[in-house]
Amino acid sequence: MASKLLASALRKTLTPHAPISKPSSFFRAASTAAAAVEPYEEAADGVYMKGVKISGRPLYLDMQATSPVDPRVVDAMLPYYLTRYGNPHSRTHMYGWESDSAVEAARAQVADLIGASPKEIVFTSGATECNNISVKGVMHFYKDKKRHVITTQTEHKCVLDSCRHLQQEGFDITYLPVKPDGLIDLDQLRAAIRPDTGLVSVMAVNNEIGVIQPMEEIGEICKEFKIPFHTDAAQALGKIPIDVDKWNVSLMSLSGHKVYGPKGVGALYMRRRPRIRVEPQMNGGGQERGIRSGTVPTPLVVGMGTACEIAKKEMEYDQKRISQLQERMLSGIREQLDEVVVNGSIERRYPGNLNLSFAYVEGESLLMGLKEVAVSSGSACTSASLEPSYVLRALGVDEDMAHTSIRFGIGRFTTEEEIDRAVQLTVQQVKKLRELSPLYEMVKEGINIKDIQWSQH
Amino acid sequence: MSVAAASAPSRAEVLHLYRSFLRVARKFPDYNIREYTKRRAVDAFHHNRNLSDPSAISSAFSDGKAQLEVATRQAVVYSLYAPKLKSVMEAQIPIHRSECTD
Repeated sequence: MASKLLASALRKTLTPHAPISKPSSFFRAASTAAAAVEPYEEAADGVYMKGVKISGRPLYLDMQATSPVDPRVVDAMLPYYLTRYGNPHSRTHMYGWESDSAVEAARAQVADLIGASPKEIVFTSGATECNNISVKGVMHFYKDKKRHVITTQTEHKCVLDSCRHLQQEGFDITYLPVKPDGLIDLDQLRAAIRPDTGLVSVMAVNNEIGVIQPMEEIGEICKEFKIPFHTDAAQALGKIPIDVDKWNVSLMSLSGHKVYGPKGVGALYMRRRPRIRVEPQMNGGGQERGIRSGTVPTPLVVGMGTACEIAKKEMEYDQKRISQLQERMLSGIREQLDEVVVNGSIERRYPGNLNLSFAYVEGESLLMGLKEVAVSSGSACTSASLEPSYVLRALGVDEDMAHTSIRFGIGRFTTEEEIDRAVQLTVQQVKKLRELSPLYEMVKEGINIKDIQWSQH
Repeated sequence: MSVAAASAPSRAEVLHLYRSFLRVARKFPDYNIREYTKRRAVDAFHHNRNLSDPSAISSAFSDGKAQLEVATRQAVVYSLYAPKLKSVMEAQIPIHRSECTD
């Protein structure tokens, strides 16, 4: 209550004349609990952010960027933020012991979800760090004999960037192209293998288009040639069944915040038999068997462990529901709009990802119009740029269609009503934009856009 | 976990647990969490409706009780940090404001 009084006093002194609903002050009144300063002003009828008035918190359909934390995960984490604050590496007192046993329990929970042994799990700060350790760490360790890496054009930026880094150090990288459905061609993979190939890195579920690569088959090929196989399974964890032995992976990158866990934590699976070794990217106290020095963040790790345990229990239930919602969304949009294309394979796809292109509609304008729906045109990392997605370009999607893509991410907490509302708003917005589009008008009149000779400038 | 797989809970006890879930679900200020808690509880009870093995029933019951405790705690935590701005999905509902804005 005192904070409320203070806040209203503050507000009066800071903005003596401005009515509350105007975005005049950068200080938002302290809310009931958190007295944090937020860079926008909330009012009863909406919020002003970036000059736009939003009437309520947008419905969240961007699950590939990050997922909300499950309340059961928060519940498991809170004790480690409050009273159990010990450093898990402290061996001399109870605070350390209880944190240590919590970390080990979480390690077992993560391992259980992917069919691994707890000894094969290394906690990191996230999937990006895992990918860096895997790609750079492996190649640096075996640099005397192995000088070549195979990856795909549709990998996440952190794998591609690690590869570019290796290239600057003189390693050779093969970026495999993908077929129009987003899957790699196994024959091309086989053909790309050289005697000095030190790593194959293919992501399990694509973050932008949600296609599931043929992991078992790739694993087979890698086994045949005795090449370590790394996969970025951040988007696959808890969503599709993962078995490290079936997939024959040597390294696997996992992330906490894509499975309704906390941000800032990830896990790297490292096979023990046959053993894979890496050069650490972080040196220090030798935690996590020297592979990732630095104090293990107990609350985050506990959160990730709980999230994995829940994911294992709920996978079937969630999968069924998310498939129904995807079906509902796709048929809802297709009933009312023509020329909607699903990017990437429909059959081999994680249903929580629906990447659609709406022909003749510019994606950024559509996103601007969909202020009540939190979606993105591709990955969050590149959402600031207007460049079309490199993943869609790799599929061979035309530049004009690549510009019109929207990624709808459906998750555990998405409701039918949200899907219906998203469909309604999207259809409304696309129709409005198409009405303004001369191209769409011409197509309706039967002119083939591709035949038009645009005048040269 | 299931140390004393005591006797299976009575019908009244199960119904009470069910109603408690629905009651606690309503307390979540967050639209998605509220709907999920309700939906997940209803679906779980439906799923376990035909359990006949007493030990399976009592283990489902004690699991439910543990989940209810989590939900009860988290309903409090979520309401402590509830944002003033509601989800657009509840925008029709007039937003209650305790604070006076002269």
